[in-house]
Amino acid sequence: MSTFLIRRLLLAIPTLIGVLVVVFLLLYVAPGDPVQEMVGERADAETIARLRRELRLDDPIYVQFAHYAGGVVRGDLGTSYITGRPILGDIAERFPKTLLLAASAMVLAATVGITIGVVSARWPGGWLDRISLGGAYLGISFPVYWVGLLLILLFAVTLRWLPPSGYGRIEFLILPALALGSRSIAFLARVTRSSMLEVLGSDFVRTARAKGLVERTVVVRHALRNALIPVITVLGLDFGYYLTGSILTETIFSWPGLGRYVVNAISRRDLPAIQGSVLFLSVVFVAVNLITDLAYAKADPRVAYE
Amino acid sequence: MRLSLLPLALAGSTAVACRGGESNPQRHALVDSRDTYDPRSLDPALSTDVPTGRAVSYVFDGLTQFTPDARVEPGLAQRWDVSGDGLTYTFHLRRGVTFHDGSAFTSRNVVRTFERALNPATKGGRAEPLMPIRGSDAFAAGRATSVAGLSAPNDSTVVITLSEPLASFPKLLAMPIASIVPDSIPADFGQRPVGTGPWRFVEWKHDDYLKFAKNPSYWGGAPTIDTLVARIIPEPSTAVAEFESGNVDLLVIPQGETASWEQTDEKKALLQSAPALILYYVAINTTRGPLKDARVRQAINHAVDTKTILDELMGGRGFLARGVVSPILDGADTTRARYAYDVAKAKELLTAAGHPNGIDVELWHSQDATISRLSQAVQGYLNAAGIRTKLVQRDASSAREAARKGETDMTLKTWYADYPDADSFLYPLLYSASKGPGGNVSFYASPAFDKLVLSARREQDDAKRAALSRSADSLGYADAPMIPLFFYNDLYAVQPWIRDFRVPTIFNGQRWTAVKILGSERRQ
Repeated sequence: MSTFLIRRLLLAIPTLIGVLVVVFLLLYVAPGDPVQEMVGERADAETIARLRRELRLDDPIYVQFAHYAGGVVRGDLGTSYITGRPILGDIAERFPKTLLLAASAMVLAATVGITIGVVSARWPGGWLDRISLGGAYLGISFPVYWVGLLLILLFAVTLRWLPPSGYGRIEFLILPALALGSRSIAFLARVTRSSMLEVLGSDFVRTARAKGLVERTVVVRHALRNALIPVITVLGLDFGYYLTGSILTETIFSWPGLGRYVVNAISRRDLPAIQGSVLFLSVVFVAVNLITDLAYAKADPRVAYE
Repeated sequence: MRLSLLPLALAGSTAVACRGGESNPQRHALVDSRDTYDPRSLDPALSTDVPTGRAVSYVFDGLTQFTPDARVEPGLAQRWDVSGDGLTYTFHLRRGVTFHDGSAFTSRNVVRTFERALNPATKGGRAEPLMPIRGSDAFAAGRATSVAGLSAPNDSTVVITLSEPLASFPKLLAMPIASIVPDSIPADFGQRPVGTGPWRFVEWKHDDYLKFAKNPSYWGGAPTIDTLVARIIPEPSTAVAEFESGNVDLLVIPQGETASWEQTDEKKALLQSAPALILYYVAINTTRGPLKDARVRQAINHAVDTKTILDELMGGRGFLARGVVSPILDGADTTRARYAYDVAKAKELLTAAGHPNGIDVELWHSQDATISRLSQAVQGYLNAAGIRTKLVQRDASSAREAARKGETDMTLKTWYADYPDADSFLYPLLYSASKGPGGNVSFYASPAFDKLVLSARREQDDAKRAALSRSADSLGYADAPMIPLFFYNDLYAVQPWIRDFRVPTIFNGQRWTAVKILGSERRQ
């Protein structure tokens, strides 16, 4: 198991170096000048030239890269061109909020989705199965911003049960978590159902039933555990996406997370902020994938020996 | 980022905005929803965006300030005198004013503030409003240790000498970047600002909200409301939902929802409108190909039916432009004849300019939903007149950069005046020295126009100055370096429990000092 872990960790290093290089180069190829954004609508050529010098934007690109990579290695992601604040501090302020939202969406999606999946697999063709199939198609097809706006309209504007948007106590978390998790609920339900159906038809389940085990033990202890691998895959992937890309949900629900920070940074051409947050999010994504792999190994020990 | 998300979903909502009734018993903080992104900083020296400028106007004072209807009035300067040659301004400062940290405000703060804003080490943008001061360029370039035209003969007097006369100078001093800061500037000043303004800074949760508490000892009288909250709501449809839920007191009506608010009486009763100092226009680069010929540019103006565009695409929210000076400012001419929508005339002009078979041009625009729709309409009109137009869409930053570098034939964009004066349109948009990053992306250069604008800048007599501005505007309009489309009207919804609110014409013209919340006195 520990060789497995070490191997995966070592594999992550070239991935992250690749991300660093690509992000750095992409921004120099992309149009749009950070200094033009800094100076606002009215500026003059002298000020622009001075700022370019100060920010070392006129240095050769390999010098700039070496300077940046040097900082990253020392744990310094630089300071924002626009706000002058350290990028690491900005990320530290926003990432916990994104994590909270993603984790809530995931817990919600896993609880509801897996339950529906198990129940519909146990009674295939039953009424719950049919409803969940229909719901899943809808859930997968609806874009998140549409779901988000509908949730706001229904629960905040019309029923007035929950606040429309913002960050604060748990009532602020419910709607965005639901909007963000809705797609996963649908998807998890379908994946759990098909995986469970396959397992429930296998020999060892028949054996378990023949031994006279109660149905609940058969379904939950024997079948579900063996059906989990594809479910973990979906959970891991979705969680990774939620942590790195809940931009629409954060925007609609005025959630002060990292997604909005990245989008703002891009529209203002705040290079250090874009580079720093993309790099950070890549680390997060790699970490989530690693944890997913470890979870596979836990669910199916054969994975670790491949 | 502007996501144009189903405005219809909310427009169709049955929610009634004023369900809270005539008073709002839950709170006596006023909640604003206008900011769509986090301010850059709360340090006046870094103020280049609207959320920053607004917040700065709450915490700080300038020597002068704007009223909601965009007049300039005394701020920290109680009054000022101008010398006969228009070069020397003597500002007599208010006495007994203190900063929120208790330190006294004196003339020395003014000198230090301006030097700080001009100092490259502050890492702000260009302190444009302070550049007219004599010696400011030498100081900003590091060639002088002080600004020659800036002195404080005693604690309550500041004397400013300009390098050339500039009649609008007192208005420039009401801009956020000229707000007066205290002597001690800690490293986190942009996060925890200290000023002399009507509101003391309380907290700033990034991308979430800014909170201010009233300054009880404000020299202009303490605000009526205790707390002011500026929420940052990136999605306009969400801001509408917050308003309909009664959580915010003030809403800018998104362009796409104008009609739905004006249709129902209940909602319409909450609306307040004011002309904004925003010009929508198509800059025509006068240095590129066939566009060098004024007749071609006039043909372009004749080819576009701006009235239909304003009525159909903008719900009539604005004034048709007859030049670049907003109709609410001195120097505007609201009777000037507009280019008539006349395709035959446009084709005639093109033929006269040697293009009987029409021309090919590119029209650049950003991804903003309104700008994109307008661009498509303009393209349709131009194509119909033989001006074959290709749309080029880029994100705002790239489109701006290309236009500033002169790489675009035409660009559809907006211009927000920095201060309410004809000069804030004429000088940046069309003066030759403002070419490129200065704002003149038409690259228009006319010695006659420049001469008129310069004379207007120097003229101290208001009536004469207005006449000069008017002449300059007429000349610029005739040369057609742009299609001035229209001046936009701001439309706000205001909760019924808010009293004495006025829609500001200029972004930093509403400081909430006189605004009341009904019923809040009772609870105090």
